[in-house]
Amino acid sequence: MLEYVQGDSFLHRLNPVTKLVVATCLVVATFLMPGFAPSLVVALLLLACAWLAGVAGRAIRPTLSILAPLAIALLLIQGMFYPGRQTPVVTVGPITFWREGLLYALTFTCRIAVIILAFLLLMLTTHPKALSVALVQRGMSPKLAYVFLASLQFIPEMQRRALIISEAQQARGLDTRANLWRRLGSLTVMLVPLIAGALIAAETRFLALEARGFGRKGQRTSLLEVPDGGVDRLLRWAAPALLLLLIAWKVVA
Amino acid sequence: MSLIEIADVAFTYAAQPGVRALDGVSCAIERGSFVGITGPADAGKTSLCRLIAGYIPHLFDGELSGEVVVDGAPTRRVPVEELAGKVGYVFENPFDQLTGASLTVLEEVAFALENMGLPREEIERRAWESMRLMGIDHLADRHPMRLSGGQSQRVAIASVLAMRPEILLLDEPTSQLDPVGAEEVFETVLRLHQQGLTVIMVSQDLERLSRYADRLLVMRGGRIVLEGEPREVLGRALASGLPLVMPVPAAVGWQLRQVEAVPVSRPLPLTVEEAAAEIEGVLQAGGSDLRAVDPVREGRSGEPQVRLEGVSFSYGGQVRALEDVSLEMDAGCVCILGQNGSGKTTLMKHLNGLLKPSSGRVLVRGEDTRDHRVAHLARHVALAFQNPDDQLFRSSVEREVRFGAENMGFPPEEAEKLVERALDLLQLRDVRHRKPYDLGLSWRKRVAIASVLTMASPVVVLDEPTGGQDAEGIQLLGALVEHLVGEGKLVVVVTHDVEFAAEHADRAIALHAGRVLLDGGPREVFAQAEVLARTHVHPPAALLIGQRLGLAPLPLTPQELLAAVGIARQR
Repeated sequence: MLEYVQGDSFLHRLNPVTKLVVATCLVVATFLMPGFAPSLVVALLLLACAWLAGVAGRAIRPTLSILAPLAIALLLIQGMFYPGRQTPVVTVGPITFWREGLLYALTFTCRIAVIILAFLLLMLTTHPKALSVALVQRGMSPKLAYVFLASLQFIPEMQRRALIISEAQQARGLDTRANLWRRLGSLTVMLVPLIAGALIAAETRFLALEARGFGRKGQRTSLLEVPDGGVDRLLRWAAPALLLLLIAWKVVA
Repeated sequence: MSLIEIADVAFTYAAQPGVRALDGVSCAIERGSFVGITGPADAGKTSLCRLIAGYIPHLFDGELSGEVVVDGAPTRRVPVEELAGKVGYVFENPFDQLTGASLTVLEEVAFALENMGLPREEIERRAWESMRLMGIDHLADRHPMRLSGGQSQRVAIASVLAMRPEILLLDEPTSQLDPVGAEEVFETVLRLHQQGLTVIMVSQDLERLSRYADRLLVMRGGRIVLEGEPREVLGRALASGLPLVMPVPAAVGWQLRQVEAVPVSRPLPLTVEEAAAEIEGVLQAGGSDLRAVDPVREGRSGEPQVRLEGVSFSYGGQVRALEDVSLEMDAGCVCILGQNGSGKTTLMKHLNGLLKPSSGRVLVRGEDTRDHRVAHLARHVALAFQNPDDQLFRSSVEREVRFGAENMGFPPEEAEKLVERALDLLQLRDVRHRKPYDLGLSWRKRVAIASVLTMASPVVVLDEPTGGQDAEGIQLLGALVEHLVGEGKLVVVVTHDVEFAAEHADRAIALHAGRVLLDGGPREVFAQAEVLARTHVHPPAALLIGQRLGLAPLPLTPQELLAAVGIARQR
């Protein structure tokens, strides 16, 4: 899964907010720059960073699993039907692939690769708690930060329960491969216990949070120390500045 | 002045008007005491906990009268988050009470301290101290959601302990744990009490609670009906016929007093040793003779309903959850025992094809489970999962119960008959039109069991049916098992409840590390205490008392024990 990988690389040591700012700037920038080359370069740079941070393996697999089907679909569809098609590249029987379409597909694929890699690197090298602590330090409400952290664990928990519910209902004789009408019925069979169980759990959790002083007002502290050094401040200043320059250049040119 | 003073409190939840959850409750709890609270389902035990922690009236709307004072301050005027620093509140479900926002146990334990705004070094110091106290410091880097129930419950205790409360308030902390986990929690709580912490613990586990607590409260219908020293309270509960899950030594001791073999004034025995010594005294005084137990039960036999042939199974990884298990089950009540992780659940899921063997095969009424879907095999095997909340989904008990019959495609008249019978067997007639989720957990569990009975299958599998049930619920389920067996069905019960197994099993199978450790009549299986210890199963108390007295054959139940020593049970 897309979980935090422990480590001590330069990426791990950056402040989470810095990484968030840089990732966002990179993504916006690739959409501003023409052609696939700049995006490709950024994507390759991100891959190099992933390698240096020791998370290359964990980054490449999910990237490919999203990118590969997307790239194939784009190359096929845009390659054949791109509206501005002019220059044929290959013709196989009745099908012709056009240069403009293929380039468009390539550019789009590279940009998506940048989005996936940039945010994947953020997730893989940032302890979720560190991200929430850093955001709270920048004025985010601690309750919102809790919701962010809890939601990360909510989905695997729901998947685990859905499996148990499916088994429990089959054990009561539910036919999960019956006709459509029955299958629609079986949606409530799954959803009602899932929701009811989530509500029961949520009530307990609410009470347990109160038992841990969650309702307290005033200053909160954190066990986790989130570093924020000179490099962080430089990057947080430089990345948006370069992005602004790029936008200015786009407007002028 | 006492640490906690409750004076004539009544409370009615806004969500349940007309029902007094607490009714004229008064009590005082002294600093440094260990108070046990017990009683049947819906007796008001949880409401009393909420009252002490200030959740009533701050978090639960309703009508409150009377006065609650904790450490000199009326709880009405102290906000919950402030009281939380004084009263460490631990809940029943070990996982739902985790914050769900931590990746490590250390973070989980530190959560409350962060909310208190303590400096980082202080947080770290207190979190480690509290983890060491609960014996979980070696788990500091583990993910809190991936612990055993007992470990998780200790994490929950550690995380409220870190706030250094004066009172530890635990609401049925062991009811969802296996015996090993329950023992872990009881032991650590006892240690905290010995270090001076005031402990208030709700539990149905009177066998342990009455030994550890220095005072016992029994609640019923929102009132405290009995209160005092545990042995004395158990005696009064037995005398007045209160439905409590009585520890076997106490129940046996009470019978001895009923026939005046032992003076009524003598405190009741609480342990196997005490009960055995008492009976020995009676025998030596010539008050009674030792007789042979008539083995009441005989093995029933017939065509095998379920046959496992060399079944092995692993969940993807290298660890084998089942290893070359061969079994035949024909009729009667078969209890499957063993610690968590021994393979009980995996075996159970093989009985109706939810899991298919990695090697070997399972035949259900002659059909290979690999060739059929679960929906088809359900005609032969009905299986009720442990947690009713993983299955209930309809708007009334009656409709929920009909679900099983509907899935089998029975004609309406026949389905109706099955529903009525299931409602009768589980005594659900009075609540048939209620919404399942408006009922308490022990009732919801009965509804889930009733719904698989309407499948009218020849094999019924029950997963931990007595977990979380009060004395009446356990008795009802025992009668149900006997009834189904009487109809010629094979009833397989997966359970940690050895007293239930001793009472109802025709055959006991103990699993350990995915293999069959012991298999036979309950008398012969339970006699092998040392072998059973490998899978953390304690033999029933009556048998252990019988062993100390040198009885042969060994008794399984208090009735058999008393019969063996020549004392008829009196009602």
